[in-house]
Amino acid sequence: MLGFVIQRFLQAVMVMAVMSVIVFFGVYAIGNPIDIVIPPDATQEIRAEAIRRLGLDRPLYEQYFIFITNLLQGDMGRSFVYNVPVLELIGGRLPATLELVLISVISATVLGVTLGIYAGYRPDSWVSKTIMAVSVLGFSVPSFWVGLILILFFAVNLGWLPAGGRGETVLIWGTAWSFPTLNGLSHIALPAINLALFKLAMMIRLARAGTREIMLTDTIKFARAAGLSEATILRRHLLKLISIPIITVFGLELGSTLAFAVVTETIFSWPGVGKLIIDSIAVLDRPVMVAYLILVAFLFVTINFVIDLVFALIDPRVRHGASA
Amino acid sequence: MMNRTFFAPLAFTLGLTAAVAASAQTLTMGVRGGPESLDPHFSALGSHAEAAKHIFDTLVWSGTDLQIEPGLATSWKPIDEDTWEFKLREGVKFHDGSDFDAEDVKFSIERIPVVTGPTTTAIYVRRVASVDIIDPYTLHINTDGQAATLPNDFIRLFIVSSDAAADYSTPETASQGFNSGAATIGTGPYKFVSWVPNGDLVLERNDDYWRGMGAWETVIRKEIPNDSSRLAALKAGQVDIINYVSSVDYLALERDASIDAVTGDSVYIMNLQLDQREETPMVRAIDGSDLDENPFRNILVRQAIDQAIDRETMVDIVLEGLGRPANQMMPPGFFGSNDSIPMSEYNPDRARELLTEAGYPEGFEVDLYCTADRLPGDAAICQGLGQMLTQVGIKTNVNAISRTVYFPAQARLDYSMFMNGWGTLTGEASYTLGGLAHSNDPEVKLGAFNRIQYANPEVDMLLQAGAKMMDPVERRATYEEAMEKVMADKAYISIVQLQTVWAAQAGMLEFEPRFDEDTLAFFITPAS
Amino acid sequence: MSTRPNTTSTPLRRFWAEFSENKIAVVALIVVAALILLAVFAPLVSPQNPYDLANLSLRDARRPPGFVGSGGYTHLLGTDPQGRDLLSAIFYGLRISIQIGLAAGFVSLTIGTTLGILAAYVGGRVEALIMRMVDLQLSFPAILLALVIVALLGQGKAQLIGALVAAQYAYFARTAYGAAKAERGKDYIEAALATPLSARLVVLRHMLPNCTPPLIVVATVQIANSISLEATLSFLGLGLPVTEPSLGMLIANGFPYMMSGRNWISVYPGIALIILIVAINLVGDQVRDQFNPRLRK
Repeated sequence: MLGFVIQRFLQAVMVMAVMSVIVFFGVYAIGNPIDIVIPPDATQEIRAEAIRRLGLDRPLYEQYFIFITNLLQGDMGRSFVYNVPVLELIGGRLPATLELVLISVISATVLGVTLGIYAGYRPDSWVSKTIMAVSVLGFSVPSFWVGLILILFFAVNLGWLPAGGRGETVLIWGTAWSFPTLNGLSHIALPAINLALFKLAMMIRLARAGTREIMLTDTIKFARAAGLSEATILRRHLLKLISIPIITVFGLELGSTLAFAVVTETIFSWPGVGKLIIDSIAVLDRPVMVAYLILVAFLFVTINFVIDLVFALIDPRVRHGASA
Repeated sequence: MMNRTFFAPLAFTLGLTAAVAASAQTLTMGVRGGPESLDPHFSALGSHAEAAKHIFDTLVWSGTDLQIEPGLATSWKPIDEDTWEFKLREGVKFHDGSDFDAEDVKFSIERIPVVTGPTTTAIYVRRVASVDIIDPYTLHINTDGQAATLPNDFIRLFIVSSDAAADYSTPETASQGFNSGAATIGTGPYKFVSWVPNGDLVLERNDDYWRGMGAWETVIRKEIPNDSSRLAALKAGQVDIINYVSSVDYLALERDASIDAVTGDSVYIMNLQLDQREETPMVRAIDGSDLDENPFRNILVRQAIDQAIDRETMVDIVLEGLGRPANQMMPPGFFGSNDSIPMSEYNPDRARELLTEAGYPEGFEVDLYCTADRLPGDAAICQGLGQMLTQVGIKTNVNAISRTVYFPAQARLDYSMFMNGWGTLTGEASYTLGGLAHSNDPEVKLGAFNRIQYANPEVDMLLQAGAKMMDPVERRATYEEAMEKVMADKAYISIVQLQTVWAAQAGMLEFEPRFDEDTLAFFITPAS
Repeated sequence: MSTRPNTTSTPLRRFWAEFSENKIAVVALIVVAALILLAVFAPLVSPQNPYDLANLSLRDARRPPGFVGSGGYTHLLGTDPQGRDLLSAIFYGLRISIQIGLAAGFVSLTIGTTLGILAAYVGGRVEALIMRMVDLQLSFPAILLALVIVALLGQGKAQLIGALVAAQYAYFARTAYGAAKAERGKDYIEAALATPLSARLVVLRHMLPNCTPPLIVVATVQIANSISLEATLSFLGLGLPVTEPSLGMLIANGFPYMMSGRNWISVYPGIALIILIVAINLVGDQVRDQFNPRLRK
């Protein structure tokens, strides 16, 4: 077991190393970083000065080495555009994204699984068919489209909810969160719905597919034959069996939702990390891009590692060396 | 007995509350772009300077029509060939109560090259060799050679407090110091309260401001880069005023009784630029083969292009009325702008004749490049140009791309025909003509933005002479002559002057639009 | 899901018989076919070639549906800000959206399947290496990857397809690997390998066909995803260049006009896009249900 853990850990570290090289070289080697950052007005001297100051005149591998050394000490460089440490920049905006993503994901999962189980349990009722039709729409319609329809309808035409931005915040443990305030919640509502829609559709379909499969298994047949009530069957067997794929997907989709927050944050002017990365890509603020991608890679490697560990604990086959 | 003692404090409190409510006016502005940091010396971007103008003052003030006026300096004159004397305003105080004097100006000038970021503000002090303090309100600025337009450069010289910013003037400390508020002490109309990067900038009134007390007790500047979101925020009542309303929304707003739309002429003019090199990469014959020579070097071809452009339609349809036809690179009324230059005539038949005369009866093919995300309407104007040119026989492939790709490529001389907007922010011609129309000659520091290798020796002579003239009347005449020659050559073809639109809650606010498109809270007042 | 007695002959006929029981899926399939035909024959059915600048007139810009333009015909869906007929633009846009979806899907399919089968067949360290990479890629959000690639490589069809492929090949690889691995262990493959038949023949003739059903399912989903992802990238300003609009770009072009009452510029391409994606997804749903052995009881 310990050997397995160590092996996985080393693999994770190696993957991080490879990712960091790819990301760094990818972002810094393509194009000329300095062009983006200097105004068209710049003279030769100003250009040379900027190159020197940003350390871009050194060979690429040396830049990478400096980058890694700093990284391991927790310094991810400074943004070209804002001249503040990147970690501070990202850290300052992380709570906004986190609260949006968590609220979306949790509500999508709870609602989605419930609706999906119903649709799978009674696949022929018209309620189920409606649920499935709506889920296909939620799955297919690009989220930016939904976002603007939401703004147009609820904010501009009806005036019920604000069109963008983040609401009032309260300080908890030193960081600002907006969900505890009513004003904050009204600002979270539309972006959360926008972000949750895709995941909701996915959860509905997953839960429905899972329910249909499970209801046809022998386990359920025997339970019914044994005279257990439907409610007990649902609770004791279905929910347990369905939770494994749901939880796996939940974990992996968490990352995907974080990524899609990019679009939602742009439309609703939500001051989160997603919007930061879009803005940084637009102006090619390379330190921020590199830091963001590495942090995301780190997040995924960690999630993968944890999932591997959990499966190892549960499934003895995995522990003893069968294929990945 | 009891009643009186009970009601008196109540009445007093109510009265006080009413009084407080009446003066507790907040202005919330929705802006397209915000500062990169609160250090005014960090960036030369327009949106950065606009934010800085709320907290800090500049040495020389650029008025609504971009002509220079006294700011923190009340007067200036050249003492000899390379020295200017500036007299400073007395009795001005910083937000922390300390006095403003020559120390602060010298400190600010010297601080800039050290702390400036990639979009460098060093250009505003590039002619300064050294600064001598004569007395607390008099400065001598020594320049490298004759600097006739030094005061114009100083319209973006922000003055920070030499005391408050003393410990925050290195690249590592500057941002932290200013963003946290420690060094954010200026002489401007508003004091710093808080700032979230890409978020809200919250300010409170400086009651002792030297121009007088502003109308708003609190000002909140919200950054909303997406045009539709910004407009939605205004309609939803979340902000009181927004800038950069797109032409698209402008027409609808005219019919909306709950919103006032205010338009102003912008200093930005869209110029089509034609490569003058012997060989040019992106021009071919209609059948795809190479041409013997660069057609843009032929004056007849350039005139044909000029006459193929329907400027009225460009303004009416493409910009939906938010613009004016332009015939030169500076707006009318500016120093160096020449009234006697005629407006080009739209005549596609004549354009075809000229092309045939020039030896291109079948026309030719060209790739046109422009930005899609820098100025309102840039991509649309480009596509309109593509249509107009194609219809006289010059088959045009339009490429509207991101400015982050366009500008470096343009600087590398990758393009043959391209268009971008140019704004004469200093209010006078030496910046525009000196940068664009002079041949590219680093030794005389002219022609840095001449990306088409345009070279007219007569123009060069005029521009070099003009840079040395200290007498404004003589200088103006020289620049006007240069402008006439440049526009007659038609290597630069000016198309339209843009207009900027602001929108506000109906009947609530009054303000005068600025040429440089800045939105300044101090100059916005409640409607009377 | 009932099992039918094996009366009809070929697998295709059996497939179709079951497929046609679901009326909605049949309608969706017809819609997809119709849209593809429209896209292929766009130049013939469009009243105007919206990319030929010589045909356009700025005077026709932003006109509502039903307007008779300077070309003499009625613009059924109105015109866009450059004076293009919106109906024609939608047909050509469909063309580009479908082109990109199919191209990205096909290339991802090829690369992914090759990698997946290779990993399953060769086994050992090659297998571990490939699948680790694929796993990592699977959990990395497609949109981020696509964003960065397009931002760095610039705009253009090739770059966009490249970005989409990079983001999606992993799904194919994963599926092909799973299916191929299952087949690899089966007796008939072992038997075939014991014969003088070349390994490549075994793989192509025996393993591959049995992997195709799940791959088809993934393909339909990924094609729809490609189209949707491209539209999102266009909206964010990182998609195709402005003058070659896919449906996504048409929507993005029209967005600024939504608030000012000129909805048609965005709404009609939006409806076209949604119909396309939903139809593909519905077909994919039915195909997936049919190929799912665990539903056959």
